[in-house]
Amino acid sequence: MQIRVKCSCGQGNCPEWAIVELQGMVEAQPSFKGQLQNLEIGQLCRPSAQENYTFTVGYHELTGSKVPLKKPLLVLKKMSHMEADQSSDLKSSRVELEVIGIIRHRILFKTRPKALISRPQPVVKERVSVQGSIVPNQLA
Amino acid sequence: MEQPQRLCKGGAQAVVNLQPNSSISVAYHPLFGPHNDLILLELDEKLLPDVLHQRVSLRGQPDEDAVLCTQSKTYAIKFVGTSNSVFLIPPSDESALHENARDSNEKDHDQQDVASVIKVAPGNMELVEVAPRLDKLKMLLSENPYKSDEVFEVDELEGMEKNKISLFKWDDLTDRVQASDDELRSGLHSLSAVEIDGYWRIVDEKYMDMILNMLLHNSVLNDWSLYALNENEVVGVLESDGFPPKLALHCLQNYGSKVDKGVGNSCIWSLDEKRLCVHFAREILRRGKMKMESFMEEWTQKIPEGIQASFDMLEGEVLTERLGVEMWVRAFSLSSLPSSPAERFSMLFRERPKWEWKDLQPYIKDLRVPGLSSEGLLLKYTRRTQPTLDAEPVFSAR
Repeated sequence: MQIRVKCSCGQGNCPEWAIVELQGMVEAQPSFKGQLQNLEIGQLCRPSAQENYTFTVGYHELTGSKVPLKKPLLVLKKMSHMEADQSSDLKSSRVELEVIGIIRHRILFKTRPKALISRPQPVVKERVSVQGSIVPNQLA
Repeated sequence: MEQPQRLCKGGAQAVVNLQPNSSISVAYHPLFGPHNDLILLELDEKLLPDVLHQRVSLRGQPDEDAVLCTQSKTYAIKFVGTSNSVFLIPPSDESALHENARDSNEKDHDQQDVASVIKVAPGNMELVEVAPRLDKLKMLLSENPYKSDEVFEVDELEGMEKNKISLFKWDDLTDRVQASDDELRSGLHSLSAVEIDGYWRIVDEKYMDMILNMLLHNSVLNDWSLYALNENEVVGVLESDGFPPKLALHCLQNYGSKVDKGVGNSCIWSLDEKRLCVHFAREILRRGKMKMESFMEEWTQKIPEGIQASFDMLEGEVLTERLGVEMWVRAFSLSSLPSSPAERFSMLFRERPKWEWKDLQPYIKDLRVPGLSSEGLLLKYTRRTQPTLDAEPVFSAR
């Protein structure tokens, strides 16, 4: 079997995707479990001209920076084309991979979160876990 | 993504180009989900043009690990997982931008850029250059070698139908063999395969021997020089002897090389002494091992007049061993060995538990593992012992 890797964007025109990466997990409050669509995760902020960023999730702030990837990442999308086989009733599907984007940078947060305000906090269950208090997005 | 959504405003562009002293809201996309059809592939910058110009493909059968092939190289695909949360943010698509533009004209108070996360990527694919998996090519083509009887049965439809099962066109091979086009082509060349009626075949050795002997016979009869054979003449004469032109030409390619464009539209070929000598040694040793003396006698007899045979030519083709006072020789051909280093060494040590370097070297010098030197290969697969400093090192299995 041969799967062609297709690309309709051509060199130089590949849409750039972005990655925001942090250690551990973001957990939504239990009431939003399974209904994450449109929920706001946090605010990404670039406080100065340097490539330093903060990411505020709930009452926590992460500090990180924009890192160029050593090697680019391609975003591939698996496409299945159903083909009616003339010789039989069986439908065979032909799979193709389409290049739909490229990633050259990520904004990486590798520090532990800092509490923004002091107020009684529930005990954080996991050490690496960013206890995200996610509020429903206003627009949703 | 597919559906324009208000949340798409901003998107990846807004994250990548976030201006100093500004911020953007990061939210789950309206279509957020596992999206298993989205794959991240880490790629060397130098491979990028190949991918963007659609010159790569994935090859492999459902039961094999897929490889990625460029025009000239083969790469294994490895999944590298991460425990980090990798939020993947697509660009906002244009229709969404327009919609937002209209929206913000109507009510500009609540407009804030949003970057929407379509999925949390569990990791990405990585490429590791590997040797092409050409043993399968040999296996496929060996299923149905071209034999002399086929020449006469072309009209027998039944026979054809039956044989078609293990006949392969180029596209059948790229479907089944995990190698790039260039590697596949050179694999076919080193197997001495020939394209007959659109199918890639290897020719049965006995049949090749028949053609070669007929060619040599004719060269004596017609007083041809083995170093200046006229292609048209040779092919014509062999055809009248019952050999298809394609096979006659294949014989020239197999045992010789083109030296000259020649006169008219015919080429001039020169036969290669070493390839001839190896061929006859194989023919003789097909019967089993022989005493060195009788082998040498028969061999030099078989070799056409004017060609000087030397035992060195048989490097990688025969092994010699001393039994009592006698020296024996038998066929052990490099081309019959697997091409993956692990299988190659295991086969070699099954053949002989201990190898001296001069014997071993011909059977491993073709091994190429990307990223591993030949010393590295020896370290990985053999144990080297050297009883005394001036003794020859001996290699055994690890």
